[in-house]
Amino acid sequence: MLTITDLTARVEEKEILKGINLTINPGEVHAIMGPNGSGKSTLASILAGRSDYEVTGGSVELFEKDLLELEPDERAAEGLFLAFQYPVEIPGVTNTYFLRSAINAIRKYHGQEDMPPKEFMALVKQKAALMELDPAMLSRSVNEGFSGGEKKRNEIFQMAMLDPKLCVLDETDSGLDIDALKVVANGVNALRGGDRGILVITHYQRLLDYIVPDFVHVLMDGKIVKSGGKELALELEEKGYDFIKEELAAKA
Amino acid sequence: MIATLDPLVADYDQLLPVIAADGLAGFEELRAAAIRRYRESGIPTTRDEEFKYTPLHALTETKYRFGYGANLTREDVSGLLVGDIDAITVVFVNGQFAPDLSSTDSLPNGAYIGSFSDARGFEDEIHANLGTIAHFNNRLGSTNDLRFVDLNSAYLGDGTLIFLEKNVTVERPIHVVHVVSASDVAALSFPRNLIVLGENAEAKVIESYVTHAGNGVTIPVTEIRLAAAARLEHNKVQNESLASTHIANIFVDQAKTSVYTSNNINFGGGVARTDINAYVGGEYCETWLNSANVATGSQIIDNHTRIDHALPNCQSFEVYKSILKDNGVGVFNGKIFVYEDAQKTDAKQTNQAILLSPTATMNTKPQLEIFADDVKCTHGATIGQLRDDALFYLRARGIPLAEAQGLLVYAFAAEVLEKITIDEVREKLEAALFEKLGS
Ligand SMILES: Nc1ncnc2c1ncn2[C@@H]1O[C@H](COP(=O)(O)OP(=O)(O)OP(=O)(O)O)[C@@H](O)[C@H]1O
Ligand SMILES: [Mg+2]
Repeated sequence: MLTITDLTARVEEKEILKGINLTINPGEVHAIMGPNGSGKSTLASILAGRSDYEVTGGSVELFEKDLLELEPDERAAEGLFLAFQYPVEIPGVTNTYFLRSAINAIRKYHGQEDMPPKEFMALVKQKAALMELDPAMLSRSVNEGFSGGEKKRNEIFQMAMLDPKLCVLDETDSGLDIDALKVVANGVNALRGGDRGILVITHYQRLLDYIVPDFVHVLMDGKIVKSGGKELALELEEKGYDFIKEELAAKA
Repeated sequence: MIATLDPLVADYDQLLPVIAADGLAGFEELRAAAIRRYRESGIPTTRDEEFKYTPLHALTETKYRFGYGANLTREDVSGLLVGDIDAITVVFVNGQFAPDLSSTDSLPNGAYIGSFSDARGFEDEIHANLGTIAHFNNRLGSTNDLRFVDLNSAYLGDGTLIFLEKNVTVERPIHVVHVVSASDVAALSFPRNLIVLGENAEAKVIESYVTHAGNGVTIPVTEIRLAAAARLEHNKVQNESLASTHIANIFVDQAKTSVYTSNNINFGGGVARTDINAYVGGEYCETWLNSANVATGSQIIDNHTRIDHALPNCQSFEVYKSILKDNGVGVFNGKIFVYEDAQKTDAKQTNQAILLSPTATMNTKPQLEIFADDVKCTHGATIGQLRDDALFYLRARGIPLAEAQGLLVYAFAAEVLEKITIDEVREKLEAALFEKLGS
């Protein structure tokens, strides 16, 4: 469903992605790990269509479409969802209004009518319960005054509401306490299955205990330098990134 | 020499008997003194400090005439913005009281809401208060300009009185509607409103300025006196036609522990100027000044506020927001004076503008003058475009660019509209805002 080929990108003259290759097939869960500043969020942002980054080469295909040609909202409508590392506060727009706008915009893109209000409210209720979200938060402005953990939980709640085909989670585990981590992981696992693809960016094995990946990739200095199964995450947890650096040095 | 040419007062001598007959007796001196002062200064130009960004050529270059004599039906009024809400309603058309359009029955004891001319038994209240609130006598650094207050007083005829005795609460909203209905020539009018709340009295007032037909030159003055512990929510809604000139002055006098909340909403007018001057003359008062303004096309929306903190332990919170599109111009001048005695004053002023086109402009001038040492006074001004991160976040959830922009702009102003506690009014304004931004 997603095919990234030789993707290179820079921001303000600085080369950040130096040739990324990654394929996600329907139903697969992939994890990307890597040191701070290696380019993980950059990759996620480019997939979602943030304009601060300049793609200098390579291609990205989502369902046989040229993803890089699509506007950010078109990508979302095509089924891509990015759970932000730093969710944005939007004063004056309530969570409910925001979600209704998003759902109906995506339906419109597919030539469908607005979701009937009753159906929408029922969906909100069901997904809020799944994420153990306080209903009071729904009538508050998007992310405004939310704690770090609440913001992350709200991201996964939105994801559950929008029912995307490909989910990219950028450090959704950071800032979560142990209970919240379980809730978030349960939310993600509830979405797992069928044809849905999931890409989890994380620093910690912890999250992968709950969301067990099919593949783990290590991103270092703008490149995927090693890929493996779920045991690779355990090995990284144990040894740090140095062993990979040594491996790379040995190869060179 | 300006005076003889000034079209605002060209017909004054002929009109005086008409105006005088329309209002109460006993204001001859007030009118005479006011016209004398006005004639000394005349129409301000942009060289006058207080009118630096308020071009008033419409007053000398376009035609208008004193607007008495228009006839409207209830349907004409109810179709106008916030015209059909459930409220005690006092309607003026082109400055003239319209009893047939007003509904002021079933008032609680100790309350009068209606025209000056009908205020039998309350004449003393009018005499005791009218003209005694709108002034800057004994105020610090009085650079403000009173010429349009004088002009309004010179034309003082009928007006609206809202008078609540001590401990009286009026639950229903009170709506004072000033409608302009003109044909080819704009209608000149001088609405006058007086709101006096006794100790511990409470009311919610909507003062609206709307156009039924044609254009207006509307120069209102509203005087508000709040006795100890009185609470007033004062919503001013200005949605006049886009070639109208609106120059309003509001004066508030607050006694101890009173709470004044102003929600000042401007969507209309070609040149729309509102001055709000709050004199906080008692301890432990609260003064809330909220405002949402939208200027599109070539509208100029100018707000001047002034808060005089004369006594200790008071709080004021001011949030003024403008959305400027096309060649729209916004002006904000916010003065806060903290007097030597006014220790423990807590004053917060915020002014924010969003520019939606490169040709829109915002002129902002906060002016804090603090003469006490133990106070907390802050001000902040931001002028800018929509936040990129917020736009991207909305788009990343599937909302297309134009809709995302609309949502953020709407939210920006809606934060102010949320302060209006009369649901019907707030909802109608939200809808009007949405429509105005969409066009
Ligand atoms: N807008 C920007 N302007 C300048 N440099 C940037 C910008 N965005 C990212 N970078 C730089 O690009 C590099 C990669 O950043 P990125 O956020 O992708 O890293 P990351 O792998 O997500 O790190 P972390 O684990 O800390 O979240 C960093 O060196 C960062 O400083
Ligand atoms: Mg990151």
